[in-house]
Amino acid sequence: MNISFLDSLLLPFQFEFMTDAFILGMCISLLCSLFSCFLILKGQSLIGDALSHSVLPGIIIAHALKIPLTIGAFASGIFSIYATKHIRDRSSLKDDTILGVVFTGLFALGLVLFAKIPTDLHLDHILFGNILGIERTDFWEALIICFFCFLFFIFYFRSLTICHFDEVFARTIGMNTSFFRYALLVLVALLIITSIKALGILLVIALLITPGCTGHLLTKKMGHMLFVSAIVGVLACLLGIYISFFIDASPSASIVLVQTSLLVILVGIGKLKKLISNSIG
Amino acid sequence: MIRAILMTGLIGITCAFLSCFITLKGWSLMGDALSHSVVPGVALAYYLKFPFSIGAFLTGLLAALSMSLIKVKSKLKEDAIIGIVFTTFLAIGIFLLSIFPSQIQIQTIVLGNVLSISDMDIQQVLIISSITFCFFLFQWKNLLVFCFDPIFARTVGLNTIFLHVLLLALLSATAVAALKAVGACLVVAMLITPGATAYLLTKQFSKMLFISTTLGFFSSVFGAYFSFFFDGATGGCIVLLQSCFFIIALYYSSHKNKKSQKIILENSNISSESLGPTL
Repeated sequence: MNISFLDSLLLPFQFEFMTDAFILGMCISLLCSLFSCFLILKGQSLIGDALSHSVLPGIIIAHALKIPLTIGAFASGIFSIYATKHIRDRSSLKDDTILGVVFTGLFALGLVLFAKIPTDLHLDHILFGNILGIERTDFWEALIICFFCFLFFIFYFRSLTICHFDEVFARTIGMNTSFFRYALLVLVALLIITSIKALGILLVIALLITPGCTGHLLTKKMGHMLFVSAIVGVLACLLGIYISFFIDASPSASIVLVQTSLLVILVGIGKLKKLISNSIG
Repeated sequence: MIRAILMTGLIGITCAFLSCFITLKGWSLMGDALSHSVVPGVALAYYLKFPFSIGAFLTGLLAALSMSLIKVKSKLKEDAIIGIVFTTFLAIGIFLLSIFPSQIQIQTIVLGNVLSISDMDIQQVLIISSITFCFFLFQWKNLLVFCFDPIFARTVGLNTIFLHVLLLALLSATAVAALKAVGACLVVAMLITPGATAYLLTKQFSKMLFISTTLGFFSSVFGAYFSFFFDGATGGCIVLLQSCFFIIALYYSSHKNKKSQKIILENSNISSESLGPTL
């Protein structure tokens, strides 16, 4: 009885597609959590939203031209960053309006292209992800991109932090701040493209916001914040995939729901602790 | 087909009307968030067999209120709060749909399908649009003041909380109406692009309203018409058309700005030259 119970608990780990999903989910969520800290602090969280929608036309054109999807997605992501900057230079519109116009325009273009160009792509998989059906090449590609982003993060962690907190100071000591700003955007674009195959366009955004917010609400130091958000992100991802296996739910939705519940629980505990220490003190 | 085209036209007008207020208020991404948040409402409404507009409207409003609440209670930035709330709602929606598979396809919610619009949907859209316009007629001045200068509005004794909630409610109602036509992903475009385009072209609010509703109407009608030749990506066509208008407006306005700057520069040159010898 006991053994069979344990067996059923370990069941998900016996399928190759599940272990693949766990490994991939872990890498993606780790990187996304780390970057989410920067985006949150800078007030750029919705850049993830915009980028993830605007890669759709790139994916479809790349598929039609038979070039790797990642390249197409990356190109249209970069195009959207460029278009945003271009419109900002030419008009007095607010930033969020510009983002909204650009990403919905590109997304609409993607939809029209999708309807016009016959493909064997599943729109469902692009929109909602398919972490359990990742192909071998995609899996390794994702791991390589994650590794690359991680390396960049380790090397430039200090510079990134300085640029984010105090751009004027960073420029004074001779750092190339615009390089770091765009490097961060490019890396986020890369990460989003890798995650889209696993989580889908619509829910990638949560990975780039929620863990960072959890870290931000719980601690005051950047180092601690990164640590908390990485742990929360990875834990939520693993738990989400694990739970979705048993209740037969969409893995990406489960991951996001676990993330939000962790946020609520942890912040609740934090508030409670403060209350108790206040009443004692 | 004709019915669908007229319907999208009406939805286009309502959205465009509201989009002027939203662009000015800086709530563009609120529209995005609300349109994603209605998904669980639609899912629930289908299970419990009540009109999907009510379910969608309720979850949309719930999302909007929880955003406002969290904003008051925490130190998080507004965009982060919007991001967390709407992804959670969307995830709940997808989660529900994946656990209890049903006849509704998630694609029709996310991408819309105006060609399959039913009589009941038409009734709902008509009711929502007329309610929206009534509120605008009655609260016209108040909403205008509230959007331009909330502090002034409070000083002269307007109930700003009521106006805030009213605008949010109208926004969710319109998002629900547009859901059927263009889907959750592109509602936000209907709620931003016409307003933004009009903003580029004029400085007067009444003109802005006029331009944006005209654009909203025409792009919806023609978008729906063109989509006939594109195998049904109605939402995509409408929004693409709106984006084209936006691009034209952008270049037109920046061209005009440059010209006017040039004229000013030339004038200043002339004046400095004419002043030159005397000095």
